[in-house]
Amino acid sequence: MSRVLAEDLARAGVPRRWAGLDRALPVWASVLLALVFLMALPIGWLVWMSVGGAAGVTPRHYLAVLHDPALMKALWNTVVLAFWAGLASIAVGAPLAWLTARTDLPGKGLIRSLVLASFVTPPFLGAFAWVMLAGPNAGLLNVLWRDVTGAADPLVNIFTMPGLVFVVTIYTFPYVYIMVANTLALIASDLEEAAAILGAGRLAIARTVTLPMVLPALVSGFILAVLQALALFGSPAILALPAGFHTITTQIWALFQYPPKVEMAAAVSMPLLLATALLLLVQKRLLGRRGYAAVGGKGGQRRPIPLGAWRYPALLGALVVMACAIFLPYGVLAKAAFARAWAQPLTWSNVTLGNVTFTFFEYGATQAAVLNTLELGVATATIGAVLVALLSYVTSRRLILGHQLVAFLALAPIVIPGVVLAVALFIAYTRPPFVLYGTLAILFVAYLTKEMPVGYAQSEATFRTIPPELEDAGRILGAGRLRILRDVTAPLARSGIIAAWCFIFIGVIRELSASIILFTPNTKVMSVVIFDLKEEGHFGAIAVLGIAMLLLTFATVALVQRVLGRDVLGVRE
Amino acid sequence: MPGVSLRDLTRRYGDVAAVDRLSLEVKPGELVALLGPSGCGKTTTLRLVAGFLAPEAGEIWVGDRCLSSPATVVPPERRRMAMIFQSYALWPHMTVAQNVAYGLRFKRDLTAADRQRRVAEMLRVVQLAGYEARYPGELSGGQQQRVAVARALVVEPEILLLDEPLSNLDANLREEMRFEIRRLHEAFGITTLYVTHDQAEAMVISDRIAVLERGRIAQVGTADEVFLAPRTRFVAEFIGKTNLVDGVAVGADTVAVGPLRLRVAGAGLVPGARVAVSIRPHDIALIAADGASIGVNALRGTVQRASFLGDSVDYQVRVADGDVVLRVSAPTGQRRRAGEVVGLSIDPAACVPLAANEEPSQ
Repeated sequence: MSRVLAEDLARAGVPRRWAGLDRALPVWASVLLALVFLMALPIGWLVWMSVGGAAGVTPRHYLAVLHDPALMKALWNTVVLAFWAGLASIAVGAPLAWLTARTDLPGKGLIRSLVLASFVTPPFLGAFAWVMLAGPNAGLLNVLWRDVTGAADPLVNIFTMPGLVFVVTIYTFPYVYIMVANTLALIASDLEEAAAILGAGRLAIARTVTLPMVLPALVSGFILAVLQALALFGSPAILALPAGFHTITTQIWALFQYPPKVEMAAAVSMPLLLATALLLLVQKRLLGRRGYAAVGGKGGQRRPIPLGAWRYPALLGALVVMACAIFLPYGVLAKAAFARAWAQPLTWSNVTLGNVTFTFFEYGATQAAVLNTLELGVATATIGAVLVALLSYVTSRRLILGHQLVAFLALAPIVIPGVVLAVALFIAYTRPPFVLYGTLAILFVAYLTKEMPVGYAQSEATFRTIPPELEDAGRILGAGRLRILRDVTAPLARSGIIAAWCFIFIGVIRELSASIILFTPNTKVMSVVIFDLKEEGHFGAIAVLGIAMLLLTFATVALVQRVLGRDVLGVRE
Repeated sequence: MPGVSLRDLTRRYGDVAAVDRLSLEVKPGELVALLGPSGCGKTTTLRLVAGFLAPEAGEIWVGDRCLSSPATVVPPERRRMAMIFQSYALWPHMTVAQNVAYGLRFKRDLTAADRQRRVAEMLRVVQLAGYEARYPGELSGGQQQRVAVARALVVEPEILLLDEPLSNLDANLREEMRFEIRRLHEAFGITTLYVTHDQAEAMVISDRIAVLERGRIAQVGTADEVFLAPRTRFVAEFIGKTNLVDGVAVGADTVAVGPLRLRVAGAGLVPGARVAVSIRPHDIALIAADGASIGVNALRGTVQRASFLGDSVDYQVRVADGDVVLRVSAPTGQRRRAGEVVGLSIDPAACVPLAANEEPSQ
């Protein structure tokens, strides 16, 4: 038995359970209970509801879904959307990753920051912005096109499937970017130079060395992008519904409109849930199998590849992508926020603060919604951070039997799309003994469940950097487990836990897909109000609230960067 | 000052017994090294003593307190022990003084002034006076090591545990710290268990060495005993270089290796039993071939390879009339060349017969 293995085993399960769980046991027990509450109960209800009938188990609801052409069409639309958005994300994300990670592209830092901005931009805000940019009639780009060319037809129409794929892609490509850039950053140049010295040309190296090494990252980025597209509610609701087609998420939402068909919604949710779970399984296998010594190795330098004459064309290409994701949408939001009429040119007579005053002081729902969002954000982030800290402590230190199960459960909500989660929670908590529907509590539960995987991953990574010996050293000198938690573990984990807090907070304030099903008139949040304002065609107010949301997000991101000393994407300099 | 008694300790991981019915008595004030290769169970043993692991069978006693048994394990914090870790395990968010003072927080009878005095005193002992306000990250490896030592000693533990404390230091510093640890042990006289895989370290530091093989103790003894009189093949090979010659006992103190006869140390071999004989390379004398008589413990052979090592020459000699190749370590004065025929003379006292079976004996 190797020494490392022996040490690993020495830390495993059984011993610590004996060595002093003492007073800490109740804490772990209640954490486990919380997991059941957040996960097991709602999903259990969801499954039951999808097969439940007056006479026990029945496939009736599934058959109804199968025989409803509209539902099947929505399913198909979702497949089309997710697939093309995934492919397009690769087409955009992978070259950008390569350019910023491996070449001498000018302004790499800027591009990276912009990708980060796109990553944290709520996709539904982007969708609103693109309605203002590329709506067939009043869309600014189309207006410009008609003015310049004199054509009668619009240049682009965003209310189409390609339009939807486009708007989804510009906010999901960062998933591919992150996976690929982080992998590329770990491939030492000498691996490529080894091929070069053996006679391989640039292209041959890319084909035989670099590409095979990043392939798992590429595929796994694709899967993450597909998952993102599958689960999105906002963008399809804004772009597909006016175009007259549904995706599965908007369809589930529609099933909740009066009179709600909960059983059908549950049955439609199941394929989405299963597809997500399956894709994540594939992704895990892919990443788990990589035995690439270079990936994760430290040795070897990384020398940037000179782009030569292509430097500036490449930069231009990157900036075009960023224009679509950031510059144009942010610009049009800013314009709409401070213009009397967003479609008119921005002259002095058109500038106003009226939208701001209207949004925050005249429009009835705003103040309560902002308050609700902040309240939920702070509450979820705080309780969530404590929860994920405890969970990841338990799992990283293997404190209890079945710690693998705890880790699995903590990450499991990642397979649940927001809409599906909302359906499950609606079913579970509209009936005794836990009637939470109509309160902020049900939104809190939804957010906590939804954001737990992100927070858990962050916090688990934090504990992995704290060697258990640091705790052992205190134990043997006389400190009990809880005392060590306070004196040693907590101070060392603090910045990582604050980062987890921020990630959860960012996730909560932008959340739409679960909120849209779970809100009631008294429990609206910012994203729901933005959605309501769409129905009223109030783009100025949407822009004002959207910008407020973005400011809140970027302030939190800045806090994370400060605390962690690295950017949120985890991309190395 | 109590001693430590390990009685039939067993600890498994799955089907593998990391520690297998291990028994060891450490006398009060004694420093015993647990020596063995990777995976021999030495670190597991230490963690069992520290209370981080529970035994599946067996007991650990300190003085008249039973600290570990399958039924109950006194948690680490109530064992009155201290431990020095391979990684030092210094807390990066505490200063040197805070690190050292930590264990004193749990000694209720001390006043704040007492604590301060003891920390200052201990830092002087490890030659770190003036470093109180530094953080571990601002210290060299050797200084971090000293902080770890100070943090362990300042609480005046009954038992001190060290887990390969020197393996992260460079070679020169390591040698220096060996003597330093031995000096501190002589000054404080704490009963100590010291885990290492480095036999030279074990020999310099410890009063006695316990050689571990696959979770069991192969031999316990002073450095002299384990080096000069290894009891098993494993011990003979692990402690220093040696030649192992397999043969059959033909008399109480004689072993036949093919046509060769070796008189060995001690007596009591059973004729006909298979015996391995351990002969250290520096215990074989090389003499000129023409003057050499052939007989018991006097052989003739051909030099196959000669490697000059600076302070000695390492020869590989194939013995005539036998399938035996011996390593010989000889002074540099009289050099032999490859191909040369030489005589070999071996003192019977240097021929140590070993139990031929692989089973480690206790």
